[in-house]
Order: sequence, then C-alpha cells, then structure tokens
Amino acid sequence: MSVAEKVKEIIVDQLGVDAAEVLPEAKFVDDLGADSLDLTELIMAMEEEFGVEISDEDAQTIQKVQDAISFIEKKKGE
Amino acid sequence: MSFPSLTIGDLTIPKAVIQGGMGVGISLSGLAAAVAAAGGFGVISAAGIGMNEPDFASHYVEANNRVLAKEIQAAKAAAPGGAIGVNIMVAMANFADLVKTAIRENVDAIFSGAGLPLDLPGHLPEGARTKLVPIVSSARAAVILCKKWLSRFGRTPDAFVVEGPMAGGHLGFKAEQIDDPNFVLERLVTEVVAGVAPYVAPNGNPIPVIAAGGVYTGADILRFIKLGAAGVQMGTRFVATHECDADERFKQSYIDAAEKDVVIIKSPVGMPGRALHNEFLDLAAEGQKTPARCPYRCIHTCDYTKAPYCITLALANAKKGRLRHGFAFAGQNAWRVDRIMSVADLFKELVDGYDAAEADALA
Repeated sequence: MSVAEKVKEIIVDQLGVDAAEVLPEAKFVDDLGADSLDLTELIMAMEEEFGVEISDEDAQTIQKVQDAISFIEKKKGE
Repeated sequence: MSFPSLTIGDLTIPKAVIQGGMGVGISLSGLAAAVAAAGGFGVISAAGIGMNEPDFASHYVEANNRVLAKEIQAAKAAAPGGAIGVNIMVAMANFADLVKTAIRENVDAIFSGAGLPLDLPGHLPEGARTKLVPIVSSARAAVILCKKWLSRFGRTPDAFVVEGPMAGGHLGFKAEQIDDPNFVLERLVTEVVAGVAPYVAPNGNPIPVIAAGGVYTGADILRFIKLGAAGVQMGTRFVATHECDADERFKQSYIDAAEKDVVIIKSPVGMPGRALHNEFLDLAAEGQKTPARCPYRCIHTCDYTKAPYCITLALANAKKGRLRHGFAFAGQNAWRVDRIMSVADLFKELVDGYDAAEADALA
C-alpha cells in the first residue's frame, strides 16, 4: 500500500468519514469536520503507523489531506 | 473518613481543595497565599498579569514575566510551606515564557488548560519539582495527553483537573453541550478516572483526578470524592472572600446576581464563556464596542480585527471594579453567593459541610 493510500485509510478510520470525501484538497477542519482533538489523534496515529515524529510546529502546517501525504512522503524519504 | 488531603507526587495538600486560577487579576498572591495558608492549593492566574506595568504594551513578554515572578515570590513569602501554583493558558501567545518563569520561581504546580498542553514537559528541567497538571474537559483529552507525553517525554501528567460545563469563564465545550446531560461533571469525572486508570503518575501512583466546575458546598466535595476524584477545584466561592484580589465591586456583583444573570456569552477568543450579565455585554452583543487596535496579540485564537471588544481589557476593568467597561466571569453557582467571608471561614464551612454530609450518608 502506498503512503497516500495508508494516510487516507488512517483519516477514514480516525475521523469516521467516507473514503470518497478524503480528497487531496479536503481540509480536515472545514471539509472533514475535525476538531482539535481529532487532529491531535490523527497526528498520533500517523506517527505510530509510519514510525515518525511530527512536531507541534509541523502538525500546525498539516491542514489538508495532501499536506499529510506530502509530509509523510518527505519524512520517509529522508 | 474526614475531609481528604490531596497528594500530587511528593506534594501533600492538607485539604483537597485547589483554588482555581482566575484571570484577569482575580487570583493573585493575595488570594493564593490565603488559600495556601488555610491548607488548600493557592493558584495565581497568569492571564494578563502584567497589565498594570508601564511597559505592558512595549515589552509584553518581559512585563508579564516580571509581575508573575513577583506575585509568586509574594505568595510564597506570605504562606511559608503552603502550596502555590500558577494557571497558564495554552492559548496565550507567551505560554512558554510564563511556564519558564513559573518553573524558575519553583512553583509547586502549573495548571494548564484552554488548549492541550502537549509540549509542557519540554520546559521542565531535569530535577525540577514543579508538578504539571493539565486542565481537560473530556476523558479523550486526558488520554491523548497521557499517550503524547509518554511517547515524547517518557512521563505522564502529575494530575488532571477535569473542568465541567458549570465552571466560570471560558469553557471547553460547544454551546449546545453546556446543558447536555451527557456532559455533567459527575459523568466526566467518572470517565476521566476510568480513562486514565491504565496510566500511572510519574511517582508510580494512580494519576489523581480533580473535579471542577460547579462545586459549591462540602456535600458537593463528598459527592465527587465518592466518584473517585482525589480533590476539587473551586473558583466562584473564592471570589466571595475578603482575600480575593478583585475590587469589592466585582465581589458585590456576585452577591447582587440573580440566577437569571448568570449567562453564556460568545467570547472574542472563539469559545463560550460564563459571565454575569450586564450592560457592557448587551452593548457588545449589539456590536457597539470595537477595539481600535491590539498591541498585545495575547491569545492565539483571538481575531482582534473582528472582536467586538478586547477580552483582556474588559476583564482587567472588571477586576478594578469598573464594570461599565467590562464584565465579571463567574461560575454557574455565582448567584448563590450571599456574603463575603474570609478564606479560613470558607474552609471551615466546607469541612463542616463535608462532615455533615458524610454523617448523613452513614445515618
């Protein structure tokens, strides 16, 4: 499974949204109805799945589905 | 079982009552020291604490740090051996600066809500004895903090305060949740106690959970102790004391308030808040107050260009008794306040009430 697919799966699981809604440009708060606790849990789930650490500053920049995918791809590539 | 003490790490508070931090300027060294001397946990609110410094606008960070240090030192000097803490809101722009100042001044605990204090332990140097106590409004938030602190810092919080929707000031609930029975404090306390049960505090013991929001009498305290709380945090009752740092007119507004005067407002920082209704709030609701400028940017979530008024200034005015230019935050039970008493008398009333409720339960 690609990083993008895995990230989408985590988002569907954490936010309880339909996979069809998880488009690259979908915003977590505005489009997927996430609150601050949802976002924190989402970040924690990604940290666990991919074995990376996401700082609070980095977490702030992750606002759309594509932000999350790009961030993880970059981290994994390092 | 008589009135409980509260143990947080290596710290023992003779009477398991934490005086909630109340800003702007409602709980400073005067109130905190009186509470600590009476055997409770006195808490200084760091919100807008440097408000009266001449360089508050030009040197915001320094002015706040300076006054916070001074207040901590004054409280410790006035209540030797007593427990003195500081309440620092995560949403404050100078959160990290205030946290470092409080730790440097060796406070007994930092209480931190209005957001998740995810990085709070990062400011604590090796060997520092300051206890870290997040304020949460759900079991979910408590569990997130346990997990995150463990993975990032290898430690859990020393205790949790769980603040329910009957509290005063800014609330960690959506407006429609405030009167929803699913969010009553009794339920939240039970859920948080169960949620953090798999975790242990840094001293190896269960993490103490402190109930807050609407606790008014000794019988209330007994009720939450029976639900598994290790203690309570109270704010409103401490406003109505001689030692409270607010102007007498602020305290009098509690005495004068009727039940209908305790209202939920939409604060400029984007959260609901509980306050005493007055003309200022009416004018604000009509959009007649507009801040001309904002030199401080004190709260991350405040959009001052859209705010109908500056909340820091409004609360600072209220603290000084200028209620035409501000308003008083207050807990749901503020209307029940009918007199000002000493902190010592309040503790006596709470202990007597607790003992009486316990005797009733046994009879």
